[in-house]
Amino acid sequence: MTRFLQLLRASCFGVCLSGTGVAAEPVVIGVPAWPSAQVTAHILSATLQDELGVETELREQGTMTILGGIGSGKVHIHPEIWLPNLEASVDRLSAEPAKLVLGQHGVAASQNVCTTHQTRQETGLTSVSDLTNPDIAARFDTDGDGKGEIWIGAPTWSSTEIERIRARSYGYDQTMTLLEMPEQVAMAAVDAAAALGKPIVFYCYGPHHVFDLHDVVMLDEPAHDSDRWTIVKRADDPDWLTKSRADTAWDEGRFHIGFAASLGQDMPAVATFLNAVKLTASDATTMSYAVEVEGKPADQVAQEWIAANKSRLEEWTK
Amino acid sequence: MTLFQISKWKMAKPAAAAATLIACVMAGAAMAQTFGTQIYDHVNKRWVPYTPQAAVRYYRAHGKTPEEFQRQLVTFRTAEKPGTIIIDGDRHFLYLVLPNFQAIRYGIGVGRDGFGWAGIVEVGQKREWPTWTPPAEMIARDPEAAKWKNGMPGGEDNPLGARAMYLYVDGRDSIYRIHGTTEPWSIGLNISSGCIRMNNEDVIDLYERVEVGAKVIVLMQGAALYKGV
Repeated sequence: MTRFLQLLRASCFGVCLSGTGVAAEPVVIGVPAWPSAQVTAHILSATLQDELGVETELREQGTMTILGGIGSGKVHIHPEIWLPNLEASVDRLSAEPAKLVLGQHGVAASQNVCTTHQTRQETGLTSVSDLTNPDIAARFDTDGDGKGEIWIGAPTWSSTEIERIRARSYGYDQTMTLLEMPEQVAMAAVDAAAALGKPIVFYCYGPHHVFDLHDVVMLDEPAHDSDRWTIVKRADDPDWLTKSRADTAWDEGRFHIGFAASLGQDMPAVATFLNAVKLTASDATTMSYAVEVEGKPADQVAQEWIAANKSRLEEWTK
Repeated sequence: MTLFQISKWKMAKPAAAAATLIACVMAGAAMAQTFGTQIYDHVNKRWVPYTPQAAVRYYRAHGKTPEEFQRQLVTFRTAEKPGTIIIDGDRHFLYLVLPNFQAIRYGIGVGRDGFGWAGIVEVGQKREWPTWTPPAEMIARDPEAAKWKNGMPGGEDNPLGARAMYLYVDGRDSIYRIHGTTEPWSIGLNISSGCIRMNNEDVIDLYERVEVGAKVIVLMQGAALYKGV
């Protein structure tokens, strides 16, 4: 048992004696539907149990349900809150009296237009603006209409609307057909293209296992400039597309562990640990790859990650 | 619903979709390929058009399709599980995912008409020597077809070939099939006879390897983008 655990248990003993009884309730960790978050949830659960002696409960829920649970006090931890995607919810839950706290260390996340290394070499496609060149765009034509095809995301993703705005702003909506489809179909197309050395260009985000599966490169574009990003949501205005503009790169995204603010008072050692957790993009990619590509269960991947990262965990649980 | 029809074209209404089923199983249709396949000429080291005429000539000369359309084991890095089928209508390949980043790649023929869709479906039924029923319009037009208005029994002359795998969406028949063919020379082409056609040896091989419930991903490119219906 670590010294930290001994201290925690001593602390808990005092709390329990005081009659609050908080230690009797398990810490509820929400488990969203994507693999890196699932593995992280299992890592947090195992560490809280084994190193901090805290009972936990893993609860598979959608990300909005988990956030709602944190707001109502029924859930304590969200393992992976993406920003700016969930900024509005986070702002609402963080307003006084705060229900939600984000872990101090976020993981950088990216959104880009990607291609394969081989495509770049064979077509000369290096930047997003190259897609406005009809000759380059035609290299991605698979249906004989002279325009290339590019996957811009799944129909339900908020990013897909923005990718459509970006295509219009750069001008490659005139040279490329913008395809919306489920991610699995798009990723299988990348697999097939890579297998044959066939040109392919697609919306990409990271961390994501596709970067480990294939030799994927991001296209160049001007750095994000908020003055050149005007986004009107489709749901808010029928003229959303013409009123929007976004002809620079995405702003850098990030994701954090989120936890109930009440843990700061009720279980300060847990809050301290969650604030200390410092995952990396590489961690998330490895987790995603192990679940999605290698087909391992999330709890097994978590155990393997714990075994391989003992010193980091010791640092976080000091 | 995971079956995506392509929004760039006007989408099939239900009635038109039913007509697609008809198109899907038409045999002996005209050589209607307008967006051509290419094959690699290893002698001259260049890609050359692979037209229906060229395909017939090649098949007569060699008794088989060009090498790239023959069944073969290939490296295929994917996150999809073994047993998944991935259909690339652009390059006329069907991949059956195997463990360890390998796949069996089969040559396929796709329909110029009625293939305006992509998405994720599953093998809902499998049939050996399936029955073929000609569509009403074909029965009205063609006395030869009319004699099979109640269904043509499975057999070597049946346009569905030796095996058929019925593709389902959300538990319901999508009207699309992976099936064999009486025209093995047509593998690698887009002609208006068949959904996803394979030569009979290959469709039997695939049939033996695939379970009902297998996931099938039809890529949104090539034939999936053709106007269709």
